[in-house]
Amino acid sequence: MAELFEYAELVRNLTIKEFKLRYRNSILGFFWSLLNPLAMMIILTLVFSALLRSGIEKFPVFLLTAFLGWRFFSIGTSMSLSSIIGNYPLVTKIYFPRWLLVISSNLANLIGSSLEFAALFPLLIFLGMKITYLVVLLPVILILEFVLIIGVSLILAPLNVYYRDVNEIWGIVLQAGFFLCPIIYSINVIPERYLSAYSLNPMTRIIEAIRKILYYNTLPTIADFAITLASGLLLLLIGYLIFRKLEPRFAEEI
Amino acid sequence: MQVIQIEDLWKKFRIPHERRTTILENIAGALQILEGKRFTYEEFWALKAINFTVDYGESIGVIGENGSGKSTLLKIIANILRPNRGRVKATGKIAPILELGVGFHPELTVKENALIYGSIMGLKNSEVKRRMNSILKFSTLERFQDAKLKNLSSGMQMRLGFSVAIETDPDIFLIDEALAVGDIEFQQKCLNEFKEFKAEKKTIILVSHALNLVKEFCEKTLFLSRGEMVSFGETETVINEYIRRVRHS
Repeated sequence: MAELFEYAELVRNLTIKEFKLRYRNSILGFFWSLLNPLAMMIILTLVFSALLRSGIEKFPVFLLTAFLGWRFFSIGTSMSLSSIIGNYPLVTKIYFPRWLLVISSNLANLIGSSLEFAALFPLLIFLGMKITYLVVLLPVILILEFVLIIGVSLILAPLNVYYRDVNEIWGIVLQAGFFLCPIIYSINVIPERYLSAYSLNPMTRIIEAIRKILYYNTLPTIADFAITLASGLLLLLIGYLIFRKLEPRFAEEI
Repeated sequence: MQVIQIEDLWKKFRIPHERRTTILENIAGALQILEGKRFTYEEFWALKAINFTVDYGESIGVIGENGSGKSTLLKIIANILRPNRGRVKATGKIAPILELGVGFHPELTVKENALIYGSIMGLKNSEVKRRMNSILKFSTLERFQDAKLKNLSSGMQMRLGFSVAIETDPDIFLIDEALAVGDIEFQQKCLNEFKEFKAEKKTIILVSHALNLVKEFCEKTLFLSRGEMVSFGETETVINEYIRRVRHS
């Protein structure tokens, strides 16, 4: 933690670098971050409302609230997965605490996702949604999600230095996760006997909490916050241990 | 006062026996692991039982044939690689100038790289910006300040690395053959800069095959061969021993 303070300027510079590099050489730049979920919303709304007749009210809002929460996780983890190997010119030439690369990559993603959520509000109003005082809980759940994402990143990024397979495997896990979490369907379709196991997944809790705040206009439960926080802290601990173990040989394995 | 202490330093690398590039080789390799055979690799000791100390303000040359462990030694002092055994203690801010560049990102511009490097070395952005002019001037890269690093020649990259490193005001310089790619004019500039470092009592470790350069700048020299310390002492004697050995082999 003291390192974070000592290298505050470096973290800031690396975060800006990440953010810039993500959109450099593209004409629309950051707007792609907004266009991508919008396109997804239109495609999936057509599929689910027109073709499959899911019967979910205001499907675009139902989908988008969950999808942005999922994007925060999936883009954050898959970007920071390569945060060490992507910075090999730095890692092999000079010393600084390597975990700052993981933090910076995630901070860049935090900025991106915050802007995406900010852009969601005008759309919600346009689509006739009511925005209630519950919205103050949104940053809380997003910060808990951020802790979870950093935990996962601290596990994946060092493993990816040693085995590039991690990148491929994680791609498949994310694909499965997209369908395992209640993004394109409602949690109500899960049979009663599987529900308790299904609800242990912290990403399910996060997505449900975001949806409660912005779509159902109900209060998320204590369990939503507790499970997210507990799994976030557990992953952070595991990530810390793995990172510390693998860090010394980064420069030679990269 | 001792600035760098190296006690019984050992460094081992692993060289895989076979590189698996095709899918079939990979499957075969995976089956071997399932059978309980581990990835096979050869152990290679890049450094063995290295012991020496560097005093405040001293300049040390490091010489030896290719693959003798010179660069590995510098990377360990810079804390980029960790030793398997032994201890390294270095007091002060270290600026490693290794092969090409000092830790630059190819997709970023000259100025952006200078900012990141500066903050790795503990400088505030405002300080780096204040020194930006002298960085660009020394490296004569004013015209290219907004060019991406990957578009610069290797000589230009090295010039930038050197210029940024000296502006961060380090206590210890670790220089690995850095001058070799610069043109004569820049080499001359660097030599002048070295003289100034020495006057300012900076500590310098210089890895080089240019024996004249080592003779001119380093009071002491370390001679490495196959990862072992052959000798360490007064430059003239060590270089003579090096030349004698090369002739006899």
